[in-house]
Amino acid sequence: MEKEYILSVLAHNNAGVLLRISGLFSRRCYNIKSIVAAQTVDPEYSEILIVVQGDERIVRQVDKQLSKLVDIEEVTILSWENSVVREHLLLKARRTPENSEKLVEIANVFHAGILNVSPESMVLELTGSPSELDSFTELYKPYGILKVLRTGSMAMEK
Amino acid sequence: MLLTGAEIIMECLLEQKVDTVFGYPGGAMLNIYDALYQYGGKLRHIETSHEQNAAHAADGYARATGKTGVCIATSGPGATNLVTGIATAYMDSIPMVAITGNVNLGLLGLDSFQEVDITGITMPVTKHNFIVKDVSQLADTLRKAFRIAQEGRKGPVLVDIPKDITAQKCEFTPLAQLPEPEPEHFPSDQSFERAMELIRKSERPFLYTGGGVIASEASEELAALAERLDAPVASSLMSQGAFDQSSPRYMGMLGMHGTKTAALGVKHCDLFIAVGTRFSDRVTCNADLFGTHFPIIQIDIDPAEFDKNVHVDVRLRGDAKQILSHLLEIAPQMDHADWMRDVESWNLNYPLMQRPAPDGVTPQEVLGTLGRLTDSEAILTTEVGQHQMWAAQFYTFRHPRQFLTSGGLGTMGFGLGAAMGAQLARPDKRVINIAGDGSFHMNCSELSTLSKYNIPVIELIFNNTVLGMVRQWQKLFYENRFSQTDLEKKTDYEMLARAFGVKALTIREQADIEPVLKEALATDGPVLINCLINKDINVLPMVPAGASVEDPILTM
Repeated sequence: MEKEYILSVLAHNNAGVLLRISGLFSRRCYNIKSIVAAQTVDPEYSEILIVVQGDERIVRQVDKQLSKLVDIEEVTILSWENSVVREHLLLKARRTPENSEKLVEIANVFHAGILNVSPESMVLELTGSPSELDSFTELYKPYGILKVLRTGSMAMEK
Repeated sequence: MLLTGAEIIMECLLEQKVDTVFGYPGGAMLNIYDALYQYGGKLRHIETSHEQNAAHAADGYARATGKTGVCIATSGPGATNLVTGIATAYMDSIPMVAITGNVNLGLLGLDSFQEVDITGITMPVTKHNFIVKDVSQLADTLRKAFRIAQEGRKGPVLVDIPKDITAQKCEFTPLAQLPEPEPEHFPSDQSFERAMELIRKSERPFLYTGGGVIASEASEELAALAERLDAPVASSLMSQGAFDQSSPRYMGMLGMHGTKTAALGVKHCDLFIAVGTRFSDRVTCNADLFGTHFPIIQIDIDPAEFDKNVHVDVRLRGDAKQILSHLLEIAPQMDHADWMRDVESWNLNYPLMQRPAPDGVTPQEVLGTLGRLTDSEAILTTEVGQHQMWAAQFYTFRHPRQFLTSGGLGTMGFGLGAAMGAQLARPDKRVINIAGDGSFHMNCSELSTLSKYNIPVIELIFNNTVLGMVRQWQKLFYENRFSQTDLEKKTDYEMLARAFGVKALTIREQADIEPVLKEALATDGPVLINCLINKDINVLPMVPAGASVEDPILTM
């Protein structure tokens, strides 16, 4: 059955490591839904979180193929139940004198931050689970969304 | 000692016990070639006509010996010319180190003359690759490259070295000795027990060998296991010779052009034991129909091969030689006399046969005669196409490393370079490249290398004036529309060979076969044999696209 899996990948922080990973996904026809990468506390390593779409067989293959890359130290398939999953979102909404209050109201419900207010727009930020960010975005749609930026999912085992 | 980067490369090659490198010089390689000049007595350099064939030669050297093959090329086009050779080695898991020059560090990324991002280009076709940007890292990077090429599932590694790195000086500390390889993964007792359960229950076990048997030098153990389990054996194209083909247990090749016996074996077996093989589409033919009525035990060093193409029931991960040795310790002597009688009767009833061609010269007879005259002890390399399948079918391979062919990538142009590398690695063996007239034109300039170094390779061309394999498909599936497969070349093969300084012989009719082969084998130097055959000889059996490997067609 197709679903989403989160892979946590610990890699040596060598030049080109992200290219090796993304190249592997493209040539083996695996789907990356999102990818987040950053150096770890130890600058020798990077931690890369990849959300993969596929069935269990595919994900096992992804795991084994990734593990073969010389630069990769460890691959862990995280379970949704046992992990906290967070994404970060920036949203620029169209602002008019009429909707301004509504925009702030929604932000307050989600405990979202207001980063900038200009006469025509408002920039909001929110960190939350992927589904929270989905509903947040949904609520702003009627007022006009000028731009949305979303990071991929970050996840950590509980 | 204080050495230049180029000298460090030489020292590292010697440290890895490299005796021969195949390559071609160029601007970015001036320092390296200057060092080669100075190390001339210790390192033999073979200069090919084209870098692609330097890679194939390094590959052939590796396949013939098990050692890591080394090729070197200059930046830009030199490096890109290696790519087909590297990809060929990658698909067949052949240990190789390719060293490329690049422009000076400061010129990288500026579209400089003969600059190319060769690490970017070769990422999908190498196990790993490096670009060295600091001379102090050079020695360790090369050592890592050699280690990676040989550890686990073998494969090619590329090291790209900017020109100024080869000129800079650095302190070099030789290794006291090469480090021991890391121990391979070994399966758990439970995995072995699950395998043994299936083996004990089985009445009709089928042993199947892949290239991994050759890579791990496991032929003896495999032969012993076949005796112990009283099982027949089939081999993939990549593992021709991994099992002695003169044995009555041998069923032939399995797959698209495998034998009827191997196909019947798959149809009737109740357990399939696959050793060092990846169930390629040329073997399973239709993967959905493969293995639906028997359990599979797969032995492989690469866990990513488990359940990749077909689902398997027991996975034994590790080195084939070690795993087979352990199975020999725990498996009791079996008796499957009825099953073996079935196999022997199929072998009798369905021999590989070619109907005589109008002019009488068949590849079957040529290869059969070659086998007799060489006591089945020669090394055969091939190009890709009909001649490749005939070579696999009609020469009796008795030892591993006797049949060197581009199985995975299917590279036309592989054979002549590979033959050159194999002959230099094994001067004690006769090396014959079986070619087609199509493939011959991909690499014929290497005849000049054979004559320059007097490498006694026999280039045996099955000349049917067509691209026979593609034409065969056009016959079967495209209603004889022979689009671009009638080559109609005006090449005078004998004259061309002589122009390169290579002796030329011709087989025109049946009576020529034996005397010409004898004369070629008695020649102390390279020989080209132009063997004229009928263009309508097909490769059979054949499993048509989409069909099960159990149902090959025997005539067309």
